Amino acid sequence: MALPKIKETATETRLAALSLPEGGWSEPARRAALARVQSSGLPDRRDEYWKFTRPDVLVGPDAPHAKALETDEGELFDSFDRLKIVFVDGVFDAQASDDLKLEGVSIERLAEIADQDIHWARDLYGTLEERAQTPVARPLAALNTAFAPDGVVIRVTGKPSKPISVVYHHVAEDSDPMLHHVIRVESGAEATILENGPAGARFSKCMEIDIADGGKLHHIRSQGRDHERSAVTHIFARLGAESSFKSFTMTVNGHLTRNEAVVELTGDDAIVHIAGACVGDGDFLHDDTIFITHDALNCESRQVFKKVLRNGAVGVFQGKILVKEGAQKTDGYQLSQALMLDGDSQFLAKPELEIYADDVACSHGCTSGEIDETALFYLRSRGVPEDRAADLLTLAFLAEAVDEIEDQAIAEDIVSRLENWLSRRR
Amino acid sequence: MLEIKDLHVELAEEDKAILKGVDLKIEAGKVHAIMGPNGSGKSTLAYVLSGRPGYEVKQGTATLDGTDLLELEPEERAAAGLFQAFQYPVEIPGVGNMTFLRTAVNAQRKARGQEELSAAEFLKEVRAKAKDLEIDAEMLKRPVNVGFSGGEKKRNEILQMAMLEPRMCMLDETDSGLDVDAMKLVATGVNALRDEGRAFMVITHYQRLLDHIKPDVVHIMADGRIVKTGGPELALEVEHNGYADILAEVA
Amino acid sequence: MTALDHSQVKEGVDQDTVDAVREVGSTYKHGWSTDIEMEYAPKGLTHDIVRLISEKNEEPEWMTEWRLGAYDRWLKMVEPDWAMVDYPKIDFQDQYYYARPKSMMVKPKSLDEVDPKLLATYEKLGIPLREQAILAGVEGAEGAPAEGRKVAVDAVFDSVSLGTTFQDDLKKAGVIFCSISDAIRDYPDLVKKYLGTVVPVSDNYYATLNSAVFSDGSFVYVPPGVRCPMELSTYFRINAENTGQFERTLIIADKGSYVSYLEGCTAPKRDEAQLHAAVVEIIVEEDAEVKYSTVQNWYPGDEDGKGGIYNFVTKRADCRGDRSKVMWTQVETGAAVTWKYPSCILRGDDSQGEFYSIAITNNWQQADTGTKMIHLGKNTKSRIVSKGISAGQAQNTYRGLVSMHPKAKNARNFTQCDSLLIGSKCGAHAIPYIEAKNNSARVEHEATTSKVDENQLFYCRSRGMDEEEAVALVVNGFCKDVLQALPMEFAMEAQQLVAISLEGSVG
Repeated sequence: MALPKIKETATETRLAALSLPEGGWSEPARRAALARVQSSGLPDRRDEYWKFTRPDVLVGPDAPHAKALETDEGELFDSFDRLKIVFVDGVFDAQASDDLKLEGVSIERLAEIADQDIHWARDLYGTLEERAQTPVARPLAALNTAFAPDGVVIRVTGKPSKPISVVYHHVAEDSDPMLHHVIRVESGAEATILENGPAGARFSKCMEIDIADGGKLHHIRSQGRDHERSAVTHIFARLGAESSFKSFTMTVNGHLTRNEAVVELTGDDAIVHIAGACVGDGDFLHDDTIFITHDALNCESRQVFKKVLRNGAVGVFQGKILVKEGAQKTDGYQLSQALMLDGDSQFLAKPELEIYADDVACSHGCTSGEIDETALFYLRSRGVPEDRAADLLTLAFLAEAVDEIEDQAIAEDIVSRLENWLSRRR
Repeated sequence: MLEIKDLHVELAEEDKAILKGVDLKIEAGKVHAIMGPNGSGKSTLAYVLSGRPGYEVKQGTATLDGTDLLELEPEERAAAGLFQAFQYPVEIPGVGNMTFLRTAVNAQRKARGQEELSAAEFLKEVRAKAKDLEIDAEMLKRPVNVGFSGGEKKRNEILQMAMLEPRMCMLDETDSGLDVDAMKLVATGVNALRDEGRAFMVITHYQRLLDHIKPDVVHIMADGRIVKTGGPELALEVEHNGYADILAEVA
Repeated sequence: MTALDHSQVKEGVDQDTVDAVREVGSTYKHGWSTDIEMEYAPKGLTHDIVRLISEKNEEPEWMTEWRLGAYDRWLKMVEPDWAMVDYPKIDFQDQYYYARPKSMMVKPKSLDEVDPKLLATYEKLGIPLREQAILAGVEGAEGAPAEGRKVAVDAVFDSVSLGTTFQDDLKKAGVIFCSISDAIRDYPDLVKKYLGTVVPVSDNYYATLNSAVFSDGSFVYVPPGVRCPMELSTYFRINAENTGQFERTLIIADKGSYVSYLEGCTAPKRDEAQLHAAVVEIIVEEDAEVKYSTVQNWYPGDEDGKGGIYNFVTKRADCRGDRSKVMWTQVETGAAVTWKYPSCILRGDDSQGEFYSIAITNNWQQADTGTKMIHLGKNTKSRIVSKGISAGQAQNTYRGLVSMHPKAKNARNFTQCDSLLIGSKCGAHAIPYIEAKNNSARVEHEATTSKVDENQLFYCRSRGMDEEEAVALVVNGFCKDVLQALPMEFAMEAQQLVAISLEGSVG
């Protein structure tokens, strides 16, 4: 079907401003992804999948200018022993990065391996992104597959001793980086990936994750505090039997953030947990769009999303659990909640269940409201000042999402960041 | 009345043998107690007889007055006169206790070719029987077992038994979680039903229920078999010495 | 609801449910048809057909123009495809848009003059068209005061209303209850003032089609301060083949009034699918309250998905006045395809909207149904309780919107949306939209999907019920919150329907 003229023009304008990296094993995948972008067109606000979030900022040919935030707050994860990989405005910074060597894992850069004729990542690059294009087109992800010049390519074969930490700095006001990571966790292997930082004025990132039977991946990220930046990120994960993927995202500030996660449970007894805590103030739109497909027996999926909004901030949640025919004994859970600290904010949600198997227990809960007056009064009657009481209750609200982080030390670090955010906004 | 021969049963999903050759014969008018440590297969025996899904009979037979129980659907077993008072009665939200009872009573009457009870007859009977068990009108109105205390659930099971008038009653740990007064109440309800044409299988951990429901025969079950059978004195022996001695003796 | 003691009736009702499962041989018991001479407008839809329908109803010029305007708009619209229903493309030119019994060509003065064959049709459906009669089978009704048990009925047969009972009693109370065609002639000012103000002509594809071709339906006006002395009800019967039924209902509850309205629908078994596209508009003024209950039992098609009614319905209530209240209750067991979202616009401060729904789909049925609660006024409250049951190869979708506008301070919504699956070939889906645009509004949404609890079934069976009885009992329990919201006259029929609709779903 032909695209509406307006969409076709917007797509062509954007494509004209980009150049596709040529040569090597990834080119066919990039060309195929480009064709996907051309056939679906880039999103606009008439698309049902962008009902609550206007994608204009993410689609236009140029990144809207965004100042980098100067802050004296130390970098997240600084106190942890980790293997650090640094990108500045999307460009790899060798000086700031550690040596990419660690027992139990191979780490390479997409830009460096691109020229090779063949590479294990060839079977994965763009593959999971393409699988995720039905039933809903995700053209911004295909755009990333086609044009992202760099990213990390990680193959976990054992149990590395420390987390792999990808750090994204934002310096230039008009930076527009695209990164595409490919991660393969082999059978029985286990690793932790950390991500933090604002990355650029406008950031596009894809992460394709393939977890073999019995593999485990922990993923914790923080999206940086820059107020003006915008970002679209995609996680595509495919899980084998008895594997597990647990992902947590903290978002504070940012003009616009769209985080999509598309997870396929293809092996029996697999587990996926996706959680997020976001706090937004003023010019802030945060969108979590999740699509989990159960296509095997006895799998568990769990989504926990909490949003604290004030001063006109907008929280969006679109979450779907699809249970395919035959995916019996599915346990699917989804929670999305917004706490609105004042009268101007908005929470827009579409929590969906689509179920074609009968022996399942699926549920979703979605709530929106303000701080519980009774609880607030109770704390104040015990001598806690109102501000402090409100902070306590707000943190308690976020706790259910933060609790999804297995590593206690990291969870505490995250909580202290959230506390700081609250105290800065008294 | 009830005759079980060489019954071998596995958990259908796990290939795990639970009953490994149970032989048991219960005559009309008699009360048999089945005792034994946790995991010996007591409750499984009752569940297999009442037809709960999830068990696989590998070998052996179970008949009620010559009828092969194992071939019947659960409701057919009930219509044949078998009743299990469950250890953990299920909650059914939205279905009134009274509605449930009336549906069950009339389903069984119909299956046996009897006239269904009119609303008035049914109400009269249920009220009288409920009163004996100290079940008030409020409890009859509430949804089946929803929000019932442990004791209320057990009394409710006995009320069902009294209404359905089965011939072969199996009580599965009916005393668990009950204080002495509640247990006496349940025992009185059971004793009221004792007669020549009716038999009981009382599954329990403890002697104390047997002080109130006097058994004719006591069986000790261990590891999926009945390992010892005796009179009421056997229960007292368990009470005083535990299972260890008996198990050592038969091992 | 009245202070009648329902427990006794409900006890009896459940037993009847079970009896019904046993006794009813064929699944759909209203599948017979009435053999009667009909007068049809030519097949297909044109400006002339629209004019013809208007003419048959002896409408004034403004009404004809209104219809033609709608028809022109409809021509430019596209059939929506977003619902999770899948059916062959409808050929709108292969339908009759107007069918009336020949004996109705001269409108009878009263129901006594109506063709006995038609009256027999309703009798067979258990619907009393004689005023002394009581709704069939309402147990315990004998004991209730006569006033409390009266139900006024408007009987709509294919495209025309046969007549309306209890006209005199209602007139005494000041309540207008008549067919919409009569209302257009007799109360043009009221109709003009309200028609199309809740569901605009161009609201959606099917509503626009309805605005062009509706042939009959019911009209209710309850004047200020009046509590309607009896339940009002309309029974829709599709009888003719290849004929669409397009009814229009307009209910106006003026300040401080109250009315409870029931709607029932059935159709014969036909191999060809038939179209039904209705519009219901309700206006609720200050302090007024309307209860609208539906038991939808259109022919659902056979076990292979052949035939059945395509049911595309737009229902909306506008709570215009402060403290106004509307309650939708629906039991959707019939129709091959259902597309229906009875909604509430909560405009007045402190106004309330409630939606209670049971949707049962079996065999190849598809239902995409739910509600919209649009909170505009302060302190508005809404409650949604939806129970979906899916069996066979059926697909059952709850679709809903709860919208809290910035000015809807302290608004409250609670939604509970539960689905039950019986068998591994069916589907159950929930697609709620939640838009909270102010912090003092509180939205709570919960949804669950599960299969019929095996332990509950076993418990029932161990007490002697067979599997179908056990399923009927457990499912009725699952639906209890909604069944309780129904007027007593409908509760019994609904419980029976729950059981009958699920026949053949187990084993």
